[in-house]
Amino acid sequence: MEILKIEAVNKSFGEVQAVRDLSLKVNQGRIFGFIGPNGAGKTTTIRMVMQILLPDSGRIEIFGKQLEPGLTNRIGYLPEERGLYKKMKVLDQVAFLGEIKGLAHAAAVSEARKWLERVELADWAGKKIEELSKGMQQKIQFVGAVLHQPELLILDEPFSGLDPVNTNLLKDILLGLKSSGATVIFSTHQMDQVEKLCDAICLIDHGRNLLEGGLSEVKARFGKGRVHLRYEGKADFLQNRSLVAECNDYGKFVEIKPAAKVTPQDILKAAAREVTVTHFEIAEPSMNEIFIQVVQSKGGQA
Amino acid sequence: MKKIWVIIKREYLALVKTRGFLIGTFLVPLLILILAFLPAVFMNVGTEGEKTIAVIDFTRRLYMPLQHYLAEMQAENPDQSVYRIQEILTDSSAMESQKAALNAQVLSGSLDAFLIFPEDIFENNQFELYAKNISNFQFNETLAGRVTRVVSGLRLREIGLDPELVQKMNRSVRPKTYKVDRRGAKEESGEITFGISYIMVFMIYLALIFYGVFVMRGVIEDKNSRMAEILLSSVRPHQLMAGKILGIGATGMTQLGIWGFTLLLVSTYGLIMIRQFVPAVEKMPFPTISIWVIVGFIVFFLMGFFLYSTIYAALGSMGNSESEMQNLQWPAMSFIVVAFMLMFAVIKNPDGPMAVALSLFPFFSPILMFLRISLHAVPFYQVLLCIVLCLVTLAGMVWITGRIYRVGILMYGKRPSLPELMKWIRYS
Repeated sequence: MEILKIEAVNKSFGEVQAVRDLSLKVNQGRIFGFIGPNGAGKTTTIRMVMQILLPDSGRIEIFGKQLEPGLTNRIGYLPEERGLYKKMKVLDQVAFLGEIKGLAHAAAVSEARKWLERVELADWAGKKIEELSKGMQQKIQFVGAVLHQPELLILDEPFSGLDPVNTNLLKDILLGLKSSGATVIFSTHQMDQVEKLCDAICLIDHGRNLLEGGLSEVKARFGKGRVHLRYEGKADFLQNRSLVAECNDYGKFVEIKPAAKVTPQDILKAAAREVTVTHFEIAEPSMNEIFIQVVQSKGGQA
Repeated sequence: MKKIWVIIKREYLALVKTRGFLIGTFLVPLLILILAFLPAVFMNVGTEGEKTIAVIDFTRRLYMPLQHYLAEMQAENPDQSVYRIQEILTDSSAMESQKAALNAQVLSGSLDAFLIFPEDIFENNQFELYAKNISNFQFNETLAGRVTRVVSGLRLREIGLDPELVQKMNRSVRPKTYKVDRRGAKEESGEITFGISYIMVFMIYLALIFYGVFVMRGVIEDKNSRMAEILLSSVRPHQLMAGKILGIGATGMTQLGIWGFTLLLVSTYGLIMIRQFVPAVEKMPFPTISIWVIVGFIVFFLMGFFLYSTIYAALGSMGNSESEMQNLQWPAMSFIVVAFMLMFAVIKNPDGPMAVALSLFPFFSPILMFLRISLHAVPFYQVLLCIVLCLVTLAGMVWITGRIYRVGILMYGKRPSLPELMKWIRYS
């Protein structure tokens, strides 16, 4: 079942067209990665889904229904611009966020306590927001987005600013929500998160949908046979166009798309002549590679 | 509706718990109390007590009547300061040495002052007063008054008139004031009635500016703390604006209520005290505030508050930081200040065509129409017309400011120009 369906939506701000004829679908129970470079139109699209902005044209449906104010209660939202009332106490703040999503006061307070426990902030319930560290505030914000048990969770850059421990905590919570039937849409620039978490993705740029589909299906479209090398030394062979069609070199690690009719074995042999290979892997193209390739060629389906 | 309520509740609790609100709410009445009771306290502490005064009387006929008069006054009003006078007999030749001796006594404190009544006091109307402190006006005036009574008494007697009779003839005549309204005339003190009107109008004036700025600060805080987007993903912009305004309005009503209650207590207590101690005002009636004035106060305060706070909310939504508030608030504030200044023109002729026209202008009504209502009876059709005009304007302003607010609350960066504002209103 489609939880979210966007059809031919346009949105302009004066001269700038932020979203152009955008269509996409998100199925229930999936974790959906909404990716694209800065200024691609992700936030504008999300704001339209949240009914903060109205589209100039096109249709948006949630839970199979035309958008209407009552539906926002069934969605949890973590905006990119994080904000909390600094002078408010933590528990009051979280309960307030639940209440404006339609929870009764008592239910909001008990849910808030439960969630603060879960994100290990129960001891801070009586403190003011301004006394908390940035990372803690971010967790509070996240709790505010989920405590009313939304069927759809929209998270704009949920992992930015979190340390590895908290990233892990958040990931576990997302997977828990998924297994209980919720749908999660999140936008991110961190492609490794997409790789590890997402069932499906949509990549947009300049307000257009450039690439959409299940993660493995998208990867299959870009072909297999990528070579991942970890190495030490000076890798001049990467410049050899008859051997390497494209590569993304990090200095100690490189993703290689071999040229036509070149096998991974040929690459390994060439590499072994110049550098010390410490790791060799034949892999699917990474989301990182796909992202760069699609955005740079502006082409879409390669 | 439930969501508006949640916003109202948060806004109210957040404001009521701030230090500024607590200080303002409880310190202001405390200040009123102090200001009301300090004079009474000082009056008791500050009585001069007994003063010993030496008198050199060159006329040879003022000392006795003065002593007699002072004793009489003392008998009549035991509370008043006591002047104990003693005559020093001397002649012009010993004058200088006598003065030196008296100076020494004044300096040592055994004497509070000494007076010299020259022979020509009846022609030149002057006597000499020597004291360490010659700027105690109360003492100077009381003393001069007493001496004057005695001097003029002697003058009258000289031409064969009875001073007491003359005093009787000269008693001043004062107006007894009646306030006329639709239910007929009622005895009331003019000064007190005006005083109460003035205080109430002033309260509306201050409240409009004060709570308007509260609304503005609240909106800017939503923007500044980036809460606006979270809020708008859960409630509609008009719900957020309404909740904000109503929450701050409720805070304002709480504060005004506490202040009003204190004021009522203090003024009632003050009047009772005055009646007890000043027999002349005993017959003065209690100033009665008509129930219509109180209803008018509440109605016009609320209308003014809603009218202006929608504007303040829209203005706030255009800003990015608290430091911009000064610049942003002037469009709203200038209307309130102008209305308050026009008050003095309206007082002169509360029924004139200018007063009627000005008080019907919706942005001035909260101050000027209420002023007219509190001063005298305004025809009912005018009050009704005024309320209708205000409500229509309020509806219009809600429509316009709601649109500005909706766009502004999510805009960061530079402030919109006037043409941009028009675009927001038209397209949003």
